[in-house]
Amino acid sequence: MTKVRSLLVLGAMLAAALLVAACGSDSSSSDSGGTIIRGTTDQPISYDPAGAYDLPSYDGIYSMYQNLLTVEPGGNKAVPEAADSCDFTDKDNKVFECTLKSGLKFSDGSDLTAEDVVFSFERNVEIADPNGASSLLANMKSIEAKGDDTVVFNLKEPDATWPLLLTTASFAIVPSDVYPANKLQPSDQVVGSGRYTLADYQPGQQTVMEKNDSYQGADPAKNDRVIIQYFDKASALKLAVQNGDVDIAYRSLSPTDIDSLDGADGLSVISGNGTEIRYLVFNTKLQPGDNDAQKLAIRQAVAQTIDRQSIADNVYNGTVQPLYSMIPQGVEFANQGFSDKYGEAPDVNAAKQTLADAGVDTPVPLEVWWTPSHYGAASGDEYAEIKRQLDESGLFDVTLKSTEWNQYSTAAFTDKYPTYQLGWFPDYPDADDYTSPFYLPDSFLNIHYDNAEMNKLIGQEKSSDDPQVRQQAFDRIGEIGAEDAPTIPIWQADQVAAVRDGVHGVEETFDPSFIFRFWLISKDQ
Amino acid sequence: MRQRRLSRFLGPIRESTGVSRWIFWIGVAIVAFFVILAVFAPLLAPYGFDQVSADGVRFPKQGSPDGTHPFGTTVGNYDVLSRVIWGARTAIEVVVLAVVFSLVIGVPLGLFSGYVGGRADRVLVLIMDALFAFPYILLAIVIAFLLSDKLGQGVVTAAIAITAVYVPQYFRVVRNHVISVREEPYVDAARALGAPRRTIVSRYVLQNVIQSVPALATLNAADAILTLAALGFLGYGIQPTDAAEWGYDLQRAIDDAGAGIWWTGLYPGLAIVLLVTGFTLLGEGLNDVINPLIRARSTAKPEIEEQPGGEGEAAILSMDPPRGGEEPRGP
Amino acid sequence: MKESSGSSGLRTYVLTRLGLALPTVLILLTVVFLLMRVAPGDPITAALGARLPAKELEKRKKEAGYDKPILQQYGEYLGQVVTLDLGESVTDNRSVTSILAENGTATLELTLAAFTVTLLVGIPLGLLAGRYRDGPWDVGGRLYGIVIYAFPVFFLGFLFQLLASEVGWPTSGRASPIVEFDLNKVTHFYLIDTLIQGDFNAFWDVLQHLFLPALVLGLTISGVLIRLIRVNLLQTMRGDYVEAARARGVSERRVVVNHAFRNAMVPVVTVAGLQFAILLGGAVLTEETFNWPGIGSELVRYLNQRDYVAVQGIVTVFAIAVVAVSLLIDLINAFIDPRVRYR
Repeated sequence: MTKVRSLLVLGAMLAAALLVAACGSDSSSSDSGGTIIRGTTDQPISYDPAGAYDLPSYDGIYSMYQNLLTVEPGGNKAVPEAADSCDFTDKDNKVFECTLKSGLKFSDGSDLTAEDVVFSFERNVEIADPNGASSLLANMKSIEAKGDDTVVFNLKEPDATWPLLLTTASFAIVPSDVYPANKLQPSDQVVGSGRYTLADYQPGQQTVMEKNDSYQGADPAKNDRVIIQYFDKASALKLAVQNGDVDIAYRSLSPTDIDSLDGADGLSVISGNGTEIRYLVFNTKLQPGDNDAQKLAIRQAVAQTIDRQSIADNVYNGTVQPLYSMIPQGVEFANQGFSDKYGEAPDVNAAKQTLADAGVDTPVPLEVWWTPSHYGAASGDEYAEIKRQLDESGLFDVTLKSTEWNQYSTAAFTDKYPTYQLGWFPDYPDADDYTSPFYLPDSFLNIHYDNAEMNKLIGQEKSSDDPQVRQQAFDRIGEIGAEDAPTIPIWQADQVAAVRDGVHGVEETFDPSFIFRFWLISKDQ
Repeated sequence: MRQRRLSRFLGPIRESTGVSRWIFWIGVAIVAFFVILAVFAPLLAPYGFDQVSADGVRFPKQGSPDGTHPFGTTVGNYDVLSRVIWGARTAIEVVVLAVVFSLVIGVPLGLFSGYVGGRADRVLVLIMDALFAFPYILLAIVIAFLLSDKLGQGVVTAAIAITAVYVPQYFRVVRNHVISVREEPYVDAARALGAPRRTIVSRYVLQNVIQSVPALATLNAADAILTLAALGFLGYGIQPTDAAEWGYDLQRAIDDAGAGIWWTGLYPGLAIVLLVTGFTLLGEGLNDVINPLIRARSTAKPEIEEQPGGEGEAAILSMDPPRGGEEPRGP
Repeated sequence: MKESSGSSGLRTYVLTRLGLALPTVLILLTVVFLLMRVAPGDPITAALGARLPAKELEKRKKEAGYDKPILQQYGEYLGQVVTLDLGESVTDNRSVTSILAENGTATLELTLAAFTVTLLVGIPLGLLAGRYRDGPWDVGGRLYGIVIYAFPVFFLGFLFQLLASEVGWPTSGRASPIVEFDLNKVTHFYLIDTLIQGDFNAFWDVLQHLFLPALVLGLTISGVLIRLIRVNLLQTMRGDYVEAARARGVSERRVVVNHAFRNAMVPVVTVAGLQFAILLGGAVLTEETFNWPGIGSELVRYLNQRDYVAVQGIVTVFAIAVVAVSLLIDLINAFIDPRVRYR
């Protein structure tokens, strides 16, 4: 009897389910109100600023916390956010003082004070989380509060990049009475003063943020709720936006997906300036060449032979732009060092001449390393293309080698690979972040490149906040970088998103700062 | 001597009947087809596996099948037909290497363990059983990690990674077989007559045991192809600049599926299915042929032998085992 | 090897078998620990390599304790396992327990659904193939078994995705984002959770998401089951009691249905249990294909990030599960069939 009944119940439930489904299975998404759903393949590491040094974590942190300074949509300069004003107060650019806006509140109701700011920076250094960005604060000697609304940074060296550095999400302000001073706050217990509060966080599945009604800033969110849905594969993300499961698909659709989504019904592909770059690195000790002159000639000849436009068009369907300087376009003080020197189009004859002048025997054997597991599957196509270009010139004989990322990122920087693929993503959108990491003798690249003039110029641009001085320095840095060519820029990526019709504001947030401003996005009801 | 051995091997094939024979010969035909593709790939494939242009004209990107590219082209501008043919060469190379490595390591180990017995045997069995319970794909991936620095991400690395997965199986099968043979009356007799241990092992035990190896090796070859493809699909296998590999091509093709581009995935996928089927049929055929117990109207062995909870030996000797011991590689 | 009969033989067998399970688990733990340590890279290099100078990386590794002597790390790891503390993932600070609860149930739900498919397809086809030996059902069933086995799960998935994208069925994830958010996760089995909530829309959504991966995974396994059932049926049909029944004049139909079928299913159950354990492990590829947030795809992700703790935790639990299941099966076998004990 009971068996029969339970069967009946089950049958009825199934029937009901089918009936409801027949009435339209998409009814669940129409009642979503002001909810923006973004799909992404990038997974965050921590929503505690002290434990974050990655873009997906930043996406959440920028929404839920405030920084002293931030970058305005479309801009590339630091402007106040939680601060009312910030400035160097000494001649040397070593003392940086910020006054806070009044009336700022954390989502738990407590006031945001100078003490919280000091706490946030000090705990970042104290925790020095392995996944965090505390090393960016190496130049901070001390930080102190002056009263309730002023903080003072004392720097070890003059540092013109400091304002932009403060816009990094790793240095967002956390409440001192909630967050522990010596360990990370769990990612699902976020308290900040930003535009959103955290409603739910399920690693690997989704982050849900809701509009923070106690947000005191100038431009509150234009939507009520944001869901970030995580996908393992770009192909799944693409289908999700195609089916309308997500409103925005951003980071990272494959070039194929973008191509096929472009012009699809019900959505559009939006792209904006991006400052992520890819480049080719030479270890000046291991690369071929009998002497320094020959080595230089070989690097220059490679720079002259590579056809960046062809890579951008054929491998990436035009979703990346050819790059002719380590400082990408869109960043202040960008230049075009390589095209100024070698021209935009490849010039095999010039390359041949360069090699001949230095007495290099051709074809030059070149061992080039790349990795399939860090820079996307298209890397394989990209390096096959580079090999072809170099081989077809008759000047080089390229052997491609690849290995998995962990091995790669250790071996490349310990004098194992003569030539290798690498990518860079800015810590903060300052031209210096595209210069000193590569060109200084103690660069992480460990390629034994040391140019006295270059070192001096980097010192200059770093210590001066005079735009003219910096412009001059970066221009000259661009020239030397192209002349010496220890690294050869290949391309810079556009930021590309697929967005459902009726969703607005995504295009406004695409700028060199890489801050994804959920709060600008709205959706037609 | 060799003649006799050969006829001992081929005899049963001639004698075998009906379905078994068909299964065997279809398997032979399919595998032979792929071996021919592999050997003559440079002649048969219209283009190189990493060729993206001919006579200065660039192949279309994801071009649909047409006269010049009967199977279409991929996202990397490669010709799918050529990749499929070159992929046969990669698959056969990896499988042959993997099988040889597994045999060279697994069989002697199994012989030793089974014949010597005692504590060494127990320890080896324990270790191999533990490896058996280990998620095989994880094992293969980590081995591939380890070798990719020294050997690159090519054929040899993939073969060794796969070997690591299969050694325990050969070990188990050979060991269990040795143990059962060891107790056979004729071996006992030889021992009683004072035959030296080496003679016993090589003449009586090995010769008997070795019969079960071809079938196991063929079935494992089928499995190895699936494992190779799985490695490629997850991105840890052979990279496109080293060789053409079907699993890698399928991984890239998953992106295409949503865009309605079917040809980049269909053909490499079919190639995998066909070759695995070929090896499986061949292995099944060999099983039937070499192990007449299973053939129709034979006396049944105790059924418990067939259970994978028991010993691996049963698995290969029966026609319908969970493959190669305990681990179907399907998913 | 000659044993005393009856229950004492069984007891000895059970004890031996139990005694062997422990070292097996220990070896597995050691293997996973060693593999993770000898594999190049570490969580910090994986995340921040090509970003920070080598010196800074070294410093961070040191602070995180990755440069401790390997024996010491091994000891600490074993200590944790013994106290059932699986720790927190290094990369995203999740407790391994919650990884297992959330992603593990996802895998379990998929596995159960797939297994339903396997049984639905495998049992009838297997029985038919065995019943009508050498007939069209037999040839067809065996051929199907061989060919379906040859399909890599991701290729079958690819084909189904091609079809699904025509129809507009979901091919990734466990549920639509909104459903996912609204769902009150009590059991983490979404089918059950949606029913508890009484939300049939959500139930349907979840069912839709589950359908394709379950179908694909289930089909690939069904081949093995068909072949097993067939061979078992063939063997039982030759058994003495079937002969006896025939001799008593019982109709062939009743012989098959009442005796052979049922007996053919007995070993199948135990084999099914084992297949089930394997199914869990094989889920990696299915989950990768369908973006299913299960334990397998998490394992691959953590492996790429060299998250020692997460990988070790997941594999540890997995290994224990596999050993436990195979132990269970052996014991069941021993109860059912005394011959096993003497092997």
